Amino acid sequence: MTLTGAAWLLLAQLASASPAAGVMFAQSATSSQQRMAPDDQALPSAQQRQQIQFDAARFDSVTANTLRGLFEDAVELGLPTRPLINRALEGSARRMTGDRIVKVVRELTAALNEAKVALGAGSTSDELVAGAEALRAGYDARTVTAVRATRTPGSAVTALVVLTDLARSGVPTGTAREAVTSIAKLPRSDEALLGLQMAVAKNAQRGPGMALDALNRYVRGTIPGSPGLSAPTTTDRKPVRPPDS
Amino acid sequence: MADPIEFPFGRPTDEPDFSDAEVMTRLRASYRALPTPPLAQVQQCAAAVLARAGASGAAAPVSRSVGRTFRPQWWWGAAAAATLVVGVMRPWRGEKTQHEADSAFAAGAAAQPTGSTRDEGDGEIRFDLTLPSTANAVAIVGDFNGWDETKTPMAKRGRDGTWSVRVPLSPGRYTYAFVVDGREWLVDALAPQVPDAGFGPANAVIVDGED
Repeated sequence: MTLTGAAWLLLAQLASASPAAGVMFAQSATSSQQRMAPDDQALPSAQQRQQIQFDAARFDSVTANTLRGLFEDAVELGLPTRPLINRALEGSARRMTGDRIVKVVRELTAALNEAKVALGAGSTSDELVAGAEALRAGYDARTVTAVRATRTPGSAVTALVVLTDLARSGVPTGTAREAVTSIAKLPRSDEALLGLQMAVAKNAQRGPGMALDALNRYVRGTIPGSPGLSAPTTTDRKPVRPPDS
Repeated sequence: MADPIEFPFGRPTDEPDFSDAEVMTRLRASYRALPTPPLAQVQQCAAAVLARAGASGAAAPVSRSVGRTFRPQWWWGAAAAATLVVGVMRPWRGEKTQHEADSAFAAGAAAQPTGSTRDEGDGEIRFDLTLPSTANAVAIVGDFNGWDETKTPMAKRGRDGTWSVRVPLSPGRYTYAFVVDGREWLVDALAPQVPDAGFGPANAVIVDGED
């Protein structure tokens, strides 16, 4: 005898539900089967159904229902729902309004879909989230694709996270892409990339010019024989003294 | 040869006039013969003269004196310009100014919460956060605890404002933030951050990011 989709869902809910968890949403078995089947890639359908379970008691009923619809749409698109649920919970913890939570989750869904196109169908959930954040930080899809290509077949999560943080620190996107793609080709590049992030973050507190200078020094010191990155056109002030190493 | 010019009283000469010298000698002698005036009378006379001078238009001499004292001089402008240039540039303070700027930066950097993450082994990640101000309670929230600020409180370590917690995490990427005293959300200024999507900044940590 085979279990139906509704039975799988009920079993999963019973296994994961706790007294403090509040009301868990139960997907309609038939609708979830119909929606998840076409774009399902590697995960079993039961796991996909479990993805949509979230603590609805932390939201008002209207927001919770809207979120459930968004999560179902994400499943249809073959996107991971865990990042969306986490983002919704973050908004609830920060005491945001329901409208804002829905807006942010909807934007993240669109960004994940765009990142999926840029990174390829075989990307992990973490890579998709990191790629979506890189896109939101101002990088174009070609940059995300290029960074992903440097890490094949490894994970591109660290490279994308560092790429995103460099933009936040005031490094021009072109320079950041050049630096990350250069270092990502090295062995043990994740450590080198995190070192780059730390060096830039420390010096970024002293101004964007200092962050850029620290980046150039780090790349020159990390990549043997590197002449340094091309100097971008910037109006940032000149560094007043050598940056911290 | 006869003189071509005829002078009615004789031809002028450069020789001294002895009659004038004799007059001067007599005047000096008569002056010395005068009795010495008493000091009180001299002071009285001087006071009377000065008082009269003040009553009959002393403003003019005073005015002339003031004008003469404060008349603009050509070198005043040059001195003012030099003072301005030196005061603005302060060439002798280059090193000192740099030190002051660094101190100001250090103070600003110290005012930001900074932390670190460290793999403690056994699948646990240690989060540290150093706060520039005092706090009664600090909790870490993130993807790993459903963003519930009651689930993962941090413990105060020492008196330097550092709070720590060890969180078991499986490999992956996590987003997190810190909640101070249940109301203020902070991020580690040095850790990787994710773009603010509308809720506020948050940090990101990657567990077991291997090549």
